[in-house]
Amino acid sequence: MAKKVLIVDDDVDVRTFVSSVVEDIGYTPEIAKDGEEGIGKVKEKKPALIILDILMPKESGIKMYRTLKTDSQFSDIPVIVHSGIAKRTFLRSQKALDEFGDQPVPEPEAYLEKPVEPEELGAMIKKFLS
Amino acid sequence: MSKLLLIDDEEGIRKVFSISLKSDGYDVATAASGQQGIDLFQKEFFPIVLTDIKMPGMDGIEVLRRIKEINPEVEVIVITGHGDMESAIQSLQLGASDFLTKPMSNQLLSIALKRAEERLKTKKTLNNYANDLWNMVKEKTEEIKRRYEFEDKLVQRSIDGIVATDKEENIIIFNPAAEEIFGYTENEVKSAMNAGDLYPEGITQKISDVFSGKNRKVSDIFVGDEASVTAKSGEAVPVRFSCAMLYEGDKPIGSVGFFQDLRGIKRLEKELIKSERLAAIGQTVAGLAHGVKNILNGLKGGVYIVNTALKKGAADWAAENKIDYSKTSALPLQPRSLKRIININNEREHQQKKLKTGWEMVERNIHKVSDLVLDLLSYSKEREPEYEKYNPNIIGDEVCDLMESKAKEYDIDLIRDIDREMGKIYLDPKGIHSCLLNLVSNAIDACIFDSDTQKLWYVKVRTRHENESGVAFEVIDNGCGMGEETQSKLFAEFFSTKGTRGTGLGLLVTQKIVNEHGGTMDVVSQLGKGTTFTIRLPGKKV
Repeated sequence: MAKKVLIVDDDVDVRTFVSSVVEDIGYTPEIAKDGEEGIGKVKEKKPALIILDILMPKESGIKMYRTLKTDSQFSDIPVIVHSGIAKRTFLRSQKALDEFGDQPVPEPEAYLEKPVEPEELGAMIKKFLS
Repeated sequence: MSKLLLIDDEEGIRKVFSISLKSDGYDVATAASGQQGIDLFQKEFFPIVLTDIKMPGMDGIEVLRRIKEINPEVEVIVITGHGDMESAIQSLQLGASDFLTKPMSNQLLSIALKRAEERLKTKKTLNNYANDLWNMVKEKTEEIKRRYEFEDKLVQRSIDGIVATDKEENIIIFNPAAEEIFGYTENEVKSAMNAGDLYPEGITQKISDVFSGKNRKVSDIFVGDEASVTAKSGEAVPVRFSCAMLYEGDKPIGSVGFFQDLRGIKRLEKELIKSERLAAIGQTVAGLAHGVKNILNGLKGGVYIVNTALKKGAADWAAENKIDYSKTSALPLQPRSLKRIININNEREHQQKKLKTGWEMVERNIHKVSDLVLDLLSYSKEREPEYEKYNPNIIGDEVCDLMESKAKEYDIDLIRDIDREMGKIYLDPKGIHSCLLNLVSNAIDACIFDSDTQKLWYVKVRTRHENESGVAFEVIDNGCGMGEETQSKLFAEFFSTKGTRGTGLGLLVTQKIVNEHGGTMDVVSQLGKGTTFTIRLPGKKV
């Protein structure tokens, strides 16, 4: 069975687009429209890679990211953050949360700033799954 | 002591009395005859003249007459002969102050002179009083005149129009500023018009009521507020108007009206709104760039999917595998060929699905562009609502029908609270439809965004009467609500809490349409509890 890639994004166009790219390179896309649904899908489908949007309603993107990185059952699934905000802004916000929260959280395995070219996205996915 | 002129033909009398009088302190001059006396008198002024009646040549009566001709204020005392009452009476009639009979006693003379002095003093005092009074009157009159001229200048120079009427409601003051406002000249108004022609409606009736006694003790007829008056040209002029009664004690004697021309201010207000809107449009470009960028990415993505699907078209696939359809119709089919045909069909279906998906993405984003552009145009254009007499409930129902399925999808109860007693009012159906749709869509999103999953979410859409002829639409939700910071940014351009889904202009366009109808919109919200938006429309043509 082809490896599964979980795509978490509140924008239907982004989900459609990334799903298409995943399929084109021979993997199976799974989708979730917010962090809550995303965690559910991770448990259910056990994806080999997660492509995660950050700016989603109710801060579910940030919450899901921190859950993934602090829970031992998920922490070794690679996460590509695919977001409209710049990488350094994201990292700065995480640092601030670290100081407020309990434990520091590792950086994502990869970071892609929207908009991303389909070829670049495809190459990045292949890197993690092959 | 005064100067005194003694006229007597007897030398003895002259000598004796002049000494005696000198010793009394008088400055005495003598004359031996009437003529001499007159000559002396013409050269010098004597306040007191003592003259004998019986003298040769000019007698005392003649002297008296002459002196009185020259100066009627002189005290003339005549000396008559013993028993000569006629002369005495005649002298008194001619204005003599006193008479003494010969032989003259010093005592009586003294008394007479004293009395004469008294009278002189009194006359002088009276004169002084009269002069003082005259000066004072003159001064006060001058002051009043200056005051009056000053106040007249105030009225003439005032930049506000001032109109005053007397108790017959004739116009007695109509200053240059009023000429500017009304377009009539002072003359035109004073001769041919009355207050009713100028004051805003209803005012002159109130004034008449005060004069007729119907309404006593009213001081302010109308206190400074916006009103409209009609100028000579027929133009309606916006003014800030106030009117008061003028009283003298308890009696009304007239009225005064003040008119502040608001045309300049109104023009500035309009320009300010226009320039604010243009500035907002300038800011809009930045927000627009962002919105358009997202949409373009969506379009790009859709195009990519369509292209890939086209590339992997079933025809190509079939060609790659060199399947000759003409041969496959022969029965029975070999299992391997059957499998290949099924695979081809599956693949074709898959690619068609992808084409559909990709194309739908393109369509969606074209919609988004279109929405964005239309919102922007709505917001920036000066537009008159296209009024129709329309039942607002129709709009309520339409919008609810449209949003019902989305509400259901997210487990939100869409409640209709429509007042079935509603009649038709004047509104722009398309405009109000888009306003209500905006509010309901926002309310549904508020529930979707709400993190409190224990809630039973609802969105209530209510129509009801407001005042006499107006109508109100209420959209009530129990979703995530808004904090103070969000509420303060509510009507800022391109502010959206909805990420890529909102244009950021929705509420602004709604507010603009409501304003164009002459209506109002307000919001009450509590973070975590919910929000209520209310649109109030006057119902009449504006």
